[in-house]
Amino acid sequence: MTNPALGRLAKATPPGLAHRLRGLSDRTIAWIFVAPTIFLLLAINIFPLIWTIRLSFTNFRVNRPNEAVKWVGLQNYSRILNDADIWATMTNTAHFLFWTLFFQILIGFALAWLINRKFKGNDLWTTIIVLPMMLSPAVVGNFWTFLYQPQIGLFNYAVAFVTGADPASFSMIADVRLAPWALIIVDTWMWTPFVMLICLAGLRSIPESIYEAAECDRASPWRQFWTLTIPMVLPFLMLAVLFRGIENFKMFDLVVQLTGGGPGDTTLLTSINLKREAFEKWRTGYASAYAVILFVTIYGLASIYVKALNRVKQR
Amino acid sequence: MSYSVTEPSARQKWIAGILVALYAVITILPLVWIIATGFKTPSDSIAYPPKVVFQPTLEGYVNLFTTRTRQTPEYMAEHPPQTWAERIVAKYDMTIVGPSRFGARFLNSVIIGFGSTFLSVFLGTLAAYAFSRFKVPLKDDLMFFILSTRMMPPIAVAIPIFLMYRTLGLSDTHLGMILLYTAVNLSLSVWLLKGFIDEIPVEYEEAALIDGYTRFQAFRKVVLPQAATGIASTAIFCLIFAWNEYAFAVLLTSGEAQTAPPFIPTIIGVGGQDWPAVAAGATLFLLPVMVFTILLRKHLLRGITFGAVRK
Amino acid sequence: MMTFLTGLRTFRRGPWEMLASILIALGVVMMMQPWVLAFYTWSFLVTLVGTILFMVVGKFPS
Repeated sequence: MTNPALGRLAKATPPGLAHRLRGLSDRTIAWIFVAPTIFLLLAINIFPLIWTIRLSFTNFRVNRPNEAVKWVGLQNYSRILNDADIWATMTNTAHFLFWTLFFQILIGFALAWLINRKFKGNDLWTTIIVLPMMLSPAVVGNFWTFLYQPQIGLFNYAVAFVTGADPASFSMIADVRLAPWALIIVDTWMWTPFVMLICLAGLRSIPESIYEAAECDRASPWRQFWTLTIPMVLPFLMLAVLFRGIENFKMFDLVVQLTGGGPGDTTLLTSINLKREAFEKWRTGYASAYAVILFVTIYGLASIYVKALNRVKQR
Repeated sequence: MSYSVTEPSARQKWIAGILVALYAVITILPLVWIIATGFKTPSDSIAYPPKVVFQPTLEGYVNLFTTRTRQTPEYMAEHPPQTWAERIVAKYDMTIVGPSRFGARFLNSVIIGFGSTFLSVFLGTLAAYAFSRFKVPLKDDLMFFILSTRMMPPIAVAIPIFLMYRTLGLSDTHLGMILLYTAVNLSLSVWLLKGFIDEIPVEYEEAALIDGYTRFQAFRKVVLPQAATGIASTAIFCLIFAWNEYAFAVLLTSGEAQTAPPFIPTIIGVGGQDWPAVAAGATLFLLPVMVFTILLRKHLLRGITFGAVRK
Repeated sequence: MMTFLTGLRTFRRGPWEMLASILIALGVVMMMQPWVLAFYTWSFLVTLVGTILFMVVGKFPS
């Protein structure tokens, strides 16, 4: 390296640029900026994940640290995937998922459609409706057990008031038939606003000119709704369905507080079952295989979700 | 105003308004009930039919913050209650013997919430800036990787984190929880902030660079002030998440670093749950989030869709 | 339909991603349906194949 050459170069460049050259290169800055994030995620997400995968092939148990850890191959997986009880928790989850999505989309879309009528004060009402969504599911879920008390609970009282039934005659969380619906009601109450907000964004993204053109063609409002509104909102609905689907597939906090899986195993959703295997029965290896199964499923759904996200983004 | 085919008629607006208002009133009822129950006496709280009009009392709040013990009537006669709080519990022949654990748990929530929010927004801003402005190799894959960490079921990662924290001595510590919540929130903060930074015209920085700023100075003096609202709303979203988080908290903390959500449901009174105290705790815990939600209402949609839908 | 098949043959990203998505969705449905245990048993494999396929075809040209 010849210093005179560099000196001449430095003299020739304007002071601003020279100053910039002395600074770090963009590439270095990019790495310095991204590295801590990636490092933390590797340490707290990826490393544990790899550890889980490794444990899933063993019979390791946390509460018996002195026992020799045996490599059991795919045995954990085959046991889980042939276990009718775990399959039952999956179908419980499916029931919960199906009905929460059904009601949330129905009510959420209806609300969004109504709010899009642009009546006076719709901002205020929207803000009120949105509140439940942001609150702690555990704390709120715990309080709902109070609302669901037979006789004294506000929910039972309201149902009795409307239907004329005896408020002490039914218990939402102790009755085998009603308990799954107790979860669905609270989840719908909490998350309908989420679907509503996304649908509202979808409705607002439709350009008015399309309706004006349809009006010129004398299309009936009913026809306009099915051939214009619904297809235009569909990508947004997809987004809402996938996101709520993923979230409810791993639903934990609300249900732990509301029913804890009971009565019997009627509301034993898959995450709660996993928690029992991992942190109550301490079958760590077995629970790890269970976790990997859930994780792969969610990862698959998340891939589709991101695809849907990008499609909405382009709009 | 010009006539428009998409403008609903006045009657339609009225009907829509009434239906939405009706839904809003029903949906807010459980929250109003939480707040109201916090000001009831235990017997009022379990009255049938449910009491709408009642004599408000701070009993729930006193029970929430104190531990009490029952005394003999003779003892009560000898030691008359001194403060207003003591007078409230004296009705039940009780005296206050000390503070409850609620204050400490609430403080834990504050420390862990703010600590993790600060860290995730700080790291998130840096990463989001790099993703927004520079050619990062494998950018799309990295962004998806970051988002996918958000999707992981907490219980699934909790097993190895539990083991890892036990080895490192991080279980049930503030630092452990802060790091964990930071990692979970990073996905949200990177995605949201990238969206906000993308919206700032690159020309501003280019002008600053030509004026002799270094890249770093341009970032600090041009981009950061422009992104301030975005950073603030991202911070609130992260705070709300950390504040509400339950699964990790209940599995990884038990005493020292336990946050409020796993604690509030465990508040037990004499013979079953002390509902006014639970409701008082819930009110104190939920109110800040309600206020934040109202502040955030313009950015809500962005926050819940990771910045994809901007309205 | 024809373009879909041609897309698969020429390793285009779009149709392959669609195929992977269908596999994942199928796996999820198999996992959670309440009728046949055998479907549940094999659901994980289907989801896994779909997910891995999705990651691989992300590298195909669009």
